[in-house]
Amino acid sequence: MAETELIFVSGKGGTGKSAVAAATAISRARTGQRILVIDMGQSLGLGAHLRTPDLSYRPTEVRPGLFAISMDRSQALDEYLKLQLHVPQGAPTRQLAGALAVLADTAPGVREIISIGKPVYEQWRGTWDSVIVDAPSLGQLQSYLRAPTTISSIVPTGNVKGQSERLEATLLDPAITSVLIVANPAELPIRETIESVAVLTGEHLCPPPRVVMNRLLPESGLEHDRLDELPKGSVRDAASLQLALQAEQAEWSAEISWEIGLPYLRGVLTPGEVAEQLADVLGGRA
Amino acid sequence: MTETIIVTGAGGVGKTTLSAALACAIADAGKRTLVLTIDPAKRLADALGIEDLGDEPRPVIGQPGMSAAMLDVSASWEAIIHRYAEPEVGDRLLVNPYFRAIADRFPAAQAYAAGERMAEYIESKSYDVIVVDTPPSGGGIDFFRAPATTGDLVSGKLLKWLTGSNMPGRSFLYRFTARPMLRLADSVLGGPMLSDVADFLLDLRTMYDALSNRSRTIERYLRGAHTVIVTTADPTPIHETRRFFRELGGIEIRPEGIVFNRTLPRAWVADADRPIRGVDDAALRALAKENLRAWAGEARRQEDAADEVSARYGVPVHHVPWVTPPPTSLEELTALLDDTGVLPQLSS
Repeated sequence: MAETELIFVSGKGGTGKSAVAAATAISRARTGQRILVIDMGQSLGLGAHLRTPDLSYRPTEVRPGLFAISMDRSQALDEYLKLQLHVPQGAPTRQLAGALAVLADTAPGVREIISIGKPVYEQWRGTWDSVIVDAPSLGQLQSYLRAPTTISSIVPTGNVKGQSERLEATLLDPAITSVLIVANPAELPIRETIESVAVLTGEHLCPPPRVVMNRLLPESGLEHDRLDELPKGSVRDAASLQLALQAEQAEWSAEISWEIGLPYLRGVLTPGEVAEQLADVLGGRA
Repeated sequence: MTETIIVTGAGGVGKTTLSAALACAIADAGKRTLVLTIDPAKRLADALGIEDLGDEPRPVIGQPGMSAAMLDVSASWEAIIHRYAEPEVGDRLLVNPYFRAIADRFPAAQAYAAGERMAEYIESKSYDVIVVDTPPSGGGIDFFRAPATTGDLVSGKLLKWLTGSNMPGRSFLYRFTARPMLRLADSVLGGPMLSDVADFLLDLRTMYDALSNRSRTIERYLRGAHTVIVTTADPTPIHETRRFFRELGGIEIRPEGIVFNRTLPRAWVADADRPIRGVDDAALRALAKENLRAWAGEARRQEDAADEVSARYGVPVHHVPWVTPPPTSLEELTALLDDTGVLPQLSS
């Protein structure tokens, strides 16, 4: 069996990253892959896009071969202690968990290492074809990916350090890890994406990220010069909105290189339908 | 008395733009107005004249009576420390890596800094109206919870847990109950982390009385403010809006209105089924028809979402039209709210 792929999907709030994470998971599961998708607990959107609003820390099979969980920090903490730190037998696990909980609220990197430890641990297990993470917003993703280094700098020796180094190796391996940044063709999401790509690559926090341009309006074939020929009112107003948005889209989507484009779905009602239709478009490309 | 309007909602719905628009329109009505903004788009910041400025309010050129300030979280926390900590403790805190980490990352820290700034501006009595744009984390809910959360952090709950004492002093920490636990934890974790954290919390603890009093004051201002939720008809912002009503209700804050941004004209829904007259070119007619039909589907979805939300929460729903490119001049900003009913509602 090939190595498990680990895919982080992030982006500025409101760009549709949960939808893209869900669509990526759905399109891969359709090809017969065994998928785990993890909601890192920021959006609440992933469950809705998978038509399973109440995800928990225990995997739910939301469709054949596609399992979903949502992060729960105290359970992740428990798992981290037992499975990753290899706490010696007879140690007071409950107190140690308490100590770690305090650290997670205070010390730099600890909360992040516990959270990012979960998807990486699932990658190590080798039981999935892909582990897809509906990651938090771009700023937080950076702190997550920076956590192993932060930890190494404040902890000189020991289990936490050793585990962090292993984690870092997995996150930096381009054969395993990829980061998808979801953007929309508008000023703020593009600016934030450009900044984030610069930080992620500049600090070598992960393999070079790939940009997914979500909400691309299909070209209408209308032309600006011919707006006057249309009757005033709804027909001309809708054409004029379309052309203005196309212009904005052309301006901002040219500011950054991106490899996957996804359409703006007008009139689609539910998050479940959105994810399904985006999965159709993706067809296993992401 | 200063009126405060808090503008909240999910990321990407246009909170910052609408906050600025509200402030412009209120200043137009002759009131001394301040907008406290978080992360404006470059063109908006240019229009407000606050590009590259710190968090001191600056008058907005071209809009008499209006000022704008941008929140700078690090600077705000430094100001908070200088104000509430003993000088020696403050110096120690400011260079402490744990403090830096908290100020940079703890979602409540950004929100608390915004609340503190808001309180300072209210108390300055320099403004009739303050419009507060909220940080996007947690859909802005953190902003309302921050005083309590920050209170918990400094109240010594964590310290009590670490030391088993109610009022630990620095020397106590390294004796009795605390020591074996700290030693064990540090040996497993591989460094003096817990001891460092305990040191840090002890320093933070000295600010407790001041900060918890302050938290209560900020909470009072928050309850006294007008809260408006901005959303679009997209599923995620709608979801956040529901969460808002649910969770804000728990802390006795009731949003007074919902603003649907980027609204399409309802007429498009019916007009999409009518034949297009007066266009001779059949190809152009077909393109225009198809375009209107696609947007009418979107307009119908918006209509359904707005009807549902308004029926469920029984608060006024206001519609701001979809303007593109986004407004950047002061005139365009003010015009955005014409005929929306937001202003009459808030100023009544």
